[in-house]
Amino acid sequence: MRGTAPHWRPVEVVSALVILLLIVAAVAPVLFAPGDPLAVHPSSAFSPPSFAHFFGTDESGRDIFTRIVHGTRASLVIGLSATAIGIGLALVLGLLAGLGPRWLDFGTTRFVEVLFAFPGLLLALLFIVIYGPGVVTSTIAVGLATAPGYARIIRSQVLVVKNAPYIEAAMVLGRSRTQRVVRHLLPNVAGSLFVLATLGIGQSIVWASSLSYLGLGAVPPTAEWGAMLSAGRTYITSFWWMTFFPGVFIVLSAAATTLLGRSLQQRVRSS
Amino acid sequence: MKRLIPTLVGIASIAVLVAGCSTTASTSTAPKSGGTLVYASGDAEPTCLDPHVGGNYPQALVATQYLESLVSKDKDGKIIPWLATKCAEAPDGLSWDFTLRDNVKFTDGTPLEADAVAANIAHLQDPSTKSSTGFLALAKVAKVTAVDTHTARISLSAPDSALLDSLSQPWLAIESPTALKRSQEVNCASPVGTGPFIVKKWDRQQSITLVRNDDYNSPPADAAHTGPAYLKAIQWRFLPDSASRYAALQAGTVDVIDNAQPDTIAAAEKTKNLQHVNAPRPGASNRIELNSSIAPFNDEKVREAFIRAAQVNPAVKSLFFGTAKRSYSPLSSVEALGYSEPSLFGYSQADAAKLLDEAGWTEKNADGYRVKDGRVLELSFPVSTNQSIPAEQSLFEQLQASTKEAGFKVDLHPLDLSSWYGALGANDYNLVSAPYTKVGPDVLRILFHSDGTVPAPSGYFANHAQIKDPALDALLTTASESSDATERAELYKQAQKIVMEGYYILPLYDQQNHYLLGAKVAGFRALPSVSTPELYDTWLR
Amino acid sequence: MTAPLVVDGQPDVRARPWLPWLLARAGGVVFVLWAVATITFFAIRLIPGDPAEAILGGPGSQASAEALAQARADYGLDQPLGIQYLHYFGRLAVGDLGNSYSLHDSVVKVIGENLGGTLLLALFSLILAALIALGLAAWSVRAGRVAAGVGSVLEIVAAAVPHFWLAISLILLFSTVLGWLPPVSVPGPLGYVLPVVTLGVPLAGFLGQVMRDSILDATASPFVLAARARGENDGGVFWRHVLRHAAIPAIGLAGWAFGSLISGAVIVETIFARPGIGRSLLSAVELRDVPLVVGIVLVVALGYILMTTLTDLADRLVDPRRRGNTHRGRER
Repeated sequence: MRGTAPHWRPVEVVSALVILLLIVAAVAPVLFAPGDPLAVHPSSAFSPPSFAHFFGTDESGRDIFTRIVHGTRASLVIGLSATAIGIGLALVLGLLAGLGPRWLDFGTTRFVEVLFAFPGLLLALLFIVIYGPGVVTSTIAVGLATAPGYARIIRSQVLVVKNAPYIEAAMVLGRSRTQRVVRHLLPNVAGSLFVLATLGIGQSIVWASSLSYLGLGAVPPTAEWGAMLSAGRTYITSFWWMTFFPGVFIVLSAAATTLLGRSLQQRVRSS
Repeated sequence: MKRLIPTLVGIASIAVLVAGCSTTASTSTAPKSGGTLVYASGDAEPTCLDPHVGGNYPQALVATQYLESLVSKDKDGKIIPWLATKCAEAPDGLSWDFTLRDNVKFTDGTPLEADAVAANIAHLQDPSTKSSTGFLALAKVAKVTAVDTHTARISLSAPDSALLDSLSQPWLAIESPTALKRSQEVNCASPVGTGPFIVKKWDRQQSITLVRNDDYNSPPADAAHTGPAYLKAIQWRFLPDSASRYAALQAGTVDVIDNAQPDTIAAAEKTKNLQHVNAPRPGASNRIELNSSIAPFNDEKVREAFIRAAQVNPAVKSLFFGTAKRSYSPLSSVEALGYSEPSLFGYSQADAAKLLDEAGWTEKNADGYRVKDGRVLELSFPVSTNQSIPAEQSLFEQLQASTKEAGFKVDLHPLDLSSWYGALGANDYNLVSAPYTKVGPDVLRILFHSDGTVPAPSGYFANHAQIKDPALDALLTTASESSDATERAELYKQAQKIVMEGYYILPLYDQQNHYLLGAKVAGFRALPSVSTPELYDTWLR
Repeated sequence: MTAPLVVDGQPDVRARPWLPWLLARAGGVVFVLWAVATITFFAIRLIPGDPAEAILGGPGSQASAEALAQARADYGLDQPLGIQYLHYFGRLAVGDLGNSYSLHDSVVKVIGENLGGTLLLALFSLILAALIALGLAAWSVRAGRVAAGVGSVLEIVAAAVPHFWLAISLILLFSTVLGWLPPVSVPGPLGYVLPVVTLGVPLAGFLGQVMRDSILDATASPFVLAARARGENDGGVFWRHVLRHAAIPAIGLAGWAFGSLISGAVIVETIFARPGIGRSLLSAVELRDVPLVVGIVLVVALGYILMTTLTDLADRLVDPRRRGNTHRGRER
């Protein structure tokens, strides 16, 4: 792995393929599922998987395969946006804390600790209960809830890297502060950031589905994986496919993004 | 007019007493004494075990085991004796005399006498008790006097035909006056009554332990036996997740569950060792109310169009697996005076389109929704995730889809309980489904009288359809003061006709209340008054 | 223990004066607690819903005017928000967390009854997660590239599983189908198994991935090579050097893991009907029960601060880079 030539392992190929398919499904769902994800059909409700319905139908007779394909967009968008918000916020806080004067570090760290002291779910819960449920609020809520965790890690990374020999060498060589930050510090911090981000996308997707489970996520009848899981959970003992397939896709997309991110990161490090 | 109380009914067979359908296997083995029954409730844990405080259904469920009311109702809807053996209404209707049963003692030794009735009513009417349900039910009670040690006279400010119905509810149960003198904190943790069980311990968020009252001697007139209960103890647990609750029943970890979901009922009925008891709650049916105070439902044609466009029956059939019957009445099917008119609620997209055209909603926008004067025909529908079970939320989604065909844009907003009440209080809704459990047809007055549109200090009001019809008001007020049963029946029928013919409501089905029992459980029944479980006649095989 | 790395001949941090550091730290803790409580107080009050109703048995309780007025007077809710805040904080400063609106019991008592359950659950889950992660990591190192790949994929998948899906699936498999375990909480150790597995497996996925990274780093680093050159065998190298460096980020994550476990506990406690502060927190927020929410949040914040302080200390002791970092004269 480390130091070996960068050839593609089968797992990486598979995850890249999965992500590609997911992106296509997000952008043009009709390519995979031409039907209407919202088409209600009470007479064919609760049908098990079959040729007519690959993943079966839900409680209103809607085709689950179609809903999963169309729900890809919502889930991926939430995952990406929430991670972007979380890491963006965390980067600002972490850099401020790590690079600024002592008082700024103290203040920012305390602020992060305050945010972090809230259980993530509570933060998201409070935010959503105040501003109402929906895709946008749950995205912001997940970003807020995950930011402090990233911030702490970024801060400690910054602290470690900033005192490293090559930074010192750069300083001795006369490079300006900005140069030191941009050309030396950031790339090294970015390495761990990448892992965080890839872990984060998957996590955000899972988080958002948990919020839907508590009834705080997407509004019906939107096809969103977490909402589908939530709707299907009461029927899990009788109609397993309603929760199985959305669950599989949540796990699949989270796992694929993480895998790909990690393998890319390994390539970056070994080069 | 004297009310004739039927004499004590003979011991009836247990199967007959169970309201609704039951698959209790008839057994000729005699009831066995002993054992602990584990009951798992899907409702929230009460914050106070004394149903005088507040007054909601979870409290009623558990209080039925240790508290008793003055009267009860049998399965035909007739008032029957319980702690009161006779009730007599004065000719002017302004007072009622209740003759109490002899030799009944509360479990702390205090005898059941007229002063107990007075103490209880005083407790309910005292603001510091913070009673809601009981307080409202006793709105017309002026004072209580003891005619003699065993007769209490309740004096009213106006005749109240709903008094006996109210007194049959657990929220107005009779507690020991000695116990009521304790602090509310203590009384909430262990209320003292005359019931077949006693509250022994309450481990919050874990369980309530009830033990048998060995001196019990006051079953209601339609109970299956006399003397102490068979069960030695009951463990009352709270399992909020429906899937794991059913799994616990299947595994035998619990013996009885409530709030059974439709698919598990259907599955349970197929298995040999689970039993099903269907006991719809009294009061109103589950219905969708159309807010007639704001646009677009201030136009009756639009209301009717919505009802024409809403295809309810296929949804009810598929989502509820045949466990819920479609209702066409504002009242629950257990209410004898319920009036039903299916012809008003037929499904027809053509009629809906015609009505909307007549109402001026002739244009459609690009998404297919109707438009008038630049405004879209949009309806806000806050849905309480606490009050509406998942099957019902799915039903609303299907109605959203079928009314879309006619051009209605329905926005479903799933909300937690507080936010939901907030939206209602702010008049921020066009459609809403709010259950109301109360014994007797007087619930129509609470829901449809114009007084119900006046918000309580908390902002809450009950008349969500916002009906302000003087003719309807007159009918309901007269009915609530009438002592003539025939007159009342006619008045309530007229009232229900007005409500339904005005297209203010879309009735769906009864308030679902299903119990599932393990194979060991025998003799289980739901009290006909509020459909709460009465474990007095229950025994474990 | 190996000799500490010495940089520039400067003295080790441990010799520096503790007191100013301790005071600053303590001040920080108090500040965080105060900020947390204040934010929660105002946030709950921001949410629509009348606390007086919560006292009377929940929203929509149809309380009468008299009852509401009584409740407001009893709990001081009729005063302006700023005054209420000051009253509340006056009591908080002396340790009085007040009475729960919905449970009509002292907040301290409610938390006390429920905290143990959640902490035990969190502890067992953390232990399980650490064991799984460590086990997978050790196996990968020994068994070669393919095993490492498999282990990595397993961890990634585990981290991607939502708690409630795992919980219900486990109940379905182990209780309904196999009948081995109880589906809801029962007294005794059996009732812990499924909840602990539900919380522990996703956490194991995370910890495992993080540890895997640092194990890889550590395995190729100079001091490990030096150790091998000195003749230490693989096992010794692994346990004495590699693991120590793998532990650093994992320890850093422990604080985060604690918060994540509390969040997961909300869902797990609800599904398995276990008493705990997770479940209490959820219902308290739904009921707008301000004293209980603030109380629980404070306890969790305190716990989190304790964890981070401990992990910071552990970090200092374990990470040689942090210890010798004083050539600028700045303490970090």
